[in-house]
Amino acid sequence: MLEVIKINVYYGDIQAIWDISLTVQGAEIVALIGPNGAGKSTTLNTISGLLSPKSGTIKFNSIEVNKLPSHKIVESGISMVPEGRGIFPTMTVWENIEMGAFLSASRKIKHESAELVENIFPPLRSRRKQLAGTLSGGEQQMLAIGKALMSRPKLLLIDEFSQGLAPILVQSFVKTIEQINKSQKVSILLVEQNVHMALKLANQAYVIEAGYIVEHGGTNTLLADEHIVNVYLGGGARDSGKR
Amino acid sequence: MDIKIIAQTIIYGIFSGSIYSLVAVGLQWIFGITKIINIAHGPLVVIGSFLTFWAFSLCHLDPFVAILPVTLVLLLLGLVVYCVIFYPLKNLIGHERVHLSLLLAFGLMIILQNGARLLWSADERALTTALTGASLEFIGVRLPYARLAGLAVALLVIICVHLLLTKTYFGKSVRALIDNPQAARLVGVNINLVHLFSFGIGIALAGSAGTLIAITTSFSPFGGMVWTLKGLIVVVLAGMGNIRGVFLAGLVLGVVEAIGAIVGLGAYREIFGLITFVLVLMFKPEGLFVRGGRAA
Repeated sequence: MLEVIKINVYYGDIQAIWDISLTVQGAEIVALIGPNGAGKSTTLNTISGLLSPKSGTIKFNSIEVNKLPSHKIVESGISMVPEGRGIFPTMTVWENIEMGAFLSASRKIKHESAELVENIFPPLRSRRKQLAGTLSGGEQQMLAIGKALMSRPKLLLIDEFSQGLAPILVQSFVKTIEQINKSQKVSILLVEQNVHMALKLANQAYVIEAGYIVEHGGTNTLLADEHIVNVYLGGGARDSGKR
Repeated sequence: MDIKIIAQTIIYGIFSGSIYSLVAVGLQWIFGITKIINIAHGPLVVIGSFLTFWAFSLCHLDPFVAILPVTLVLLLLGLVVYCVIFYPLKNLIGHERVHLSLLLAFGLMIILQNGARLLWSADERALTTALTGASLEFIGVRLPYARLAGLAVALLVIICVHLLLTKTYFGKSVRALIDNPQAARLVGVNINLVHLFSFGIGIALAGSAGTLIAITTSFSPFGGMVWTLKGLIVVVLAGMGNIRGVFLAGLVLGVVEAIGAIVGLGAYREIFGLITFVLVLMFKPEGLFVRGGRAA
């Protein structure tokens, strides 16, 4: 479904990621993990078209999306929840949801999609007229994900949804993301620093370090991998799901 | 001092303030959305005035009717100007964009001023309409019909801008872009297209302001810079990026100037406006009508 083939991305003269390749199959959840500044968000931003690769290709359902501007990429069925929520704070919750269905195809089914989003996140329904900037952190994240679903994507990119959320909220978002993946048949590619949670949630994961993919595999294998356990899971056996 | 004189002064302040507002709304609209400081806004306003003069003298159109074609012509002119002059800046952000746009707009201003001089000569002009001279007396205060109609038109235009922003998908995409450009791109907003049409609409607003100036006062090819400056003062009073506060801020400037003119001498008019400007910059630099919660 999504095929990223050997992309190289620069910020000015400085190269941020080297020959990154990854694939996301239909209806699976893939996690991209790694330390700060490793290139996780850069990878996601390149797929959504906010950045463009200097070389390499990104194919989505066999369309080469790396040649398209970001508004065309949304049209092809990729939607992204950027880091730090990406909502419109001075617009109302309902206007934010409407903006999610900005493209003409999704505009036609706006009310159906809104129904669906508000069933997934009921607090959004009761807060329709409130300014998005006045929502709590958890509600803003609901709105960010809900807005991204309004374009009825086939692939949802989520950048650090757990950032700044209380652990109990993170747990409920994990359930919601699983639900979105199963009931809406949406593939999900997520970037996470909360490695333990990401590996529990995803089917597959890629590990990025200093701009290179250093490991890739099924999450069960990675959870047992010595390097992963030592570097990301604090070493030693860990059975509680906390942190 | 006689209460009637004070009332009359405030009313006149509101009349000229409404035109300041209309000039500033266009300037603010363009800056808020495209981050271009359009120094050439005033000269474009003057082009609007001269086009009204043409519509009046060549086509015998009433200036209040001419506002529609003049606004439309300026809209088209704005689209062309954006494509030719400002589109090449599309990939620049931050200071680089603001600075280069300032230089380009400055060049555009020189071209427009001299173009206007070639086409219409350097004379100062004013229009005599059916409404000129006639006025309404209301409890001893004189309200010229042309000024009243001008105020009504300015209000109407600003209400239209407000409706455009809140009721249409285009307006919502504009607000989304001001709020969070990256997120706007991610929902499928074509930023270049929004910039193009926003610039066009901003210049159309300059055109409508130009018509009202032609109806109510005089204008000349090199008089545009004054309007740019008035507009910039109003924009700063209202708060950069705050389109809705501009109308009130324009009225404030108009009234302050008018009061300044009777307290001191006519020549002090501008000084009172500028003192207000400096005071606002010193004590409320974010603008008079900015509420909390706006992302920087």
